[in-house]
Amino acid sequence: MALALSRATRRKLASQVFVAVCIGAAALALLALSLIMFSLFTKGFGGMNLMVFTADTPGPDSAGGLRNAIVGSVIMCALAMMLAVVIGVLAGTWLSEIGGNSPYGHVVRFLNDVLLSAPSILIGLFIYELLVRPMHGFSAWAGAIALGILATPIVTRTTEDILNLQPNALREAGMALGASQWVTVRKIIWKAAGAGLLTGGLLGFARISGETAPLLFTALNNQFFSLNMNQPMASLPGVIFQFAMSPFDTWQELAWAGALLITVTVLAINILGRWIARDTDHK
Amino acid sequence: MSDTETEFKSVITPPPADQIVLETRHLNFFYGTHQSLFDVSIPVKRNGITALIGPSGCGKSTLLRTMNRMYDLYPGQRAEGEILIDGENVIGPKIDVTALRAKVGMVFQKPTPFPMSIYDNVAFGVKLYHKKSKAEMDEVVETSLRRAALWDEVKDKLNKSGLSLSGGQQQRLCVARGIAVEPEILLLDEPASALDPISTAKLEDTLEELKRDITIIIVTHNLQQAARLSDYTGFMYLGKLIEFGPTETLFVNPKCEKTSDYIGGRFG
Repeated sequence: MALALSRATRRKLASQVFVAVCIGAAALALLALSLIMFSLFTKGFGGMNLMVFTADTPGPDSAGGLRNAIVGSVIMCALAMMLAVVIGVLAGTWLSEIGGNSPYGHVVRFLNDVLLSAPSILIGLFIYELLVRPMHGFSAWAGAIALGILATPIVTRTTEDILNLQPNALREAGMALGASQWVTVRKIIWKAAGAGLLTGGLLGFARISGETAPLLFTALNNQFFSLNMNQPMASLPGVIFQFAMSPFDTWQELAWAGALLITVTVLAINILGRWIARDTDHK
Repeated sequence: MSDTETEFKSVITPPPADQIVLETRHLNFFYGTHQSLFDVSIPVKRNGITALIGPSGCGKSTLLRTMNRMYDLYPGQRAEGEILIDGENVIGPKIDVTALRAKVGMVFQKPTPFPMSIYDNVAFGVKLYHKKSKAEMDEVVETSLRRAALWDEVKDKLNKSGLSLSGGQQQRLCVARGIAVEPEILLLDEPASALDPISTAKLEDTLEELKRDITIIIVTHNLQQAARLSDYTGFMYLGKLIEFGPTETLFVNPKCEKTSDYIGGRFG
């Protein structure tokens, strides 16, 4: 009797301890996050002013902004996403709708997963060997392609997952009207999966917008404003890396402002994505 | 009772030969190595409702899905024998499946509206075959929705998503979408099983209207529905067509013991 009672109490106790540990772990993670956000906002807002958007990166100990880095990041990320969305959506569609169950499909899925977890600095080195060295110079093209390679497996993966969630009856309904597989996928399945596909794109974008390593060997950095894709180009993460490590107060302030800018942008894009997704779901 | 071969001797009472629009002959069907239809020969009367009944897994849905070659989508599934529509064997390799599916429409168990407006749902199939002006398309959409008895409920919100409709309305939207391409034959795979009784009644009224110029083949679990709606009924069991004939005869005076057992609720 005493044994049975103690077993029940022991179980209850174990359960309570486990729940307490879980709550503690979650609280720790949240604490770390809020500390990061707190220092980011307090220090970032200090350096935030109109000049951040209108002036280019300054020399040591002089005033300036981040215009060249913002524009550079936008250009390279946009190009990278074009590459990643086209290749990723088509590859994910192939995996989900056509060849995913063939032996070749399994190989492709496995390699995509490997690429998904590949260190980003390796991708930077790969593009350095592939493009930068043969072309004898760092370039924005190389940066955009490196970022694109980083985002492609994310888009591929989410596309396949989202398309797999679409009911088979929808595919059959399209085919039963006499539509080809291509028309069914394009006009019905992609449309049904629209919100999810968008989320995949946004996840990819969120991933690459803060990447520094693949740009170090490819787009390098640029002290000046440049729209020339064949020349080195500045990027926000690159400038943050350079300025945050520097001994100059003005540079450090700009680095904080840049970090805040990236965070707020990614946050805003995520909220926008969710809002669009919800809107299309309940039309 | 033993399930011997002799017990399953089919009793087929076909409609008059000149009224047959679709006919399967010695149809066998395989999912990989597993055979699920055995020597099925069913004659379907033009412009009327033919019901397929039988316990779960008896092959009635499988039979339906051979008629528009839905099984083509799945590697490993194959049919042997003949399915004659207007005298042409549609199982043959030279058949244009797209044209076949324009002629033989299908409505599924669960409503499957496309993620687009009500109007575009109906126009979708038509656009695959014809280039129509806006006015012509408007007319096709209205006519189809009227014939599916949905027009009055949706005429003010044609631009709303098809997903915003109720289950019963969605199913009638799928019927409208199917008949917009003017098929000769409409296959319905348990179309009412996900609907409430009122929506079911509306769908049945729609089918009653449509059968005047479309051949309807309906798979149903609901014996009353088969008895109410259909002109001919086929009873299937273990992949075989056990009995086929005029609905009244089959329900009131079945010739096979298995049929009367099933109809009498003794199994299934």
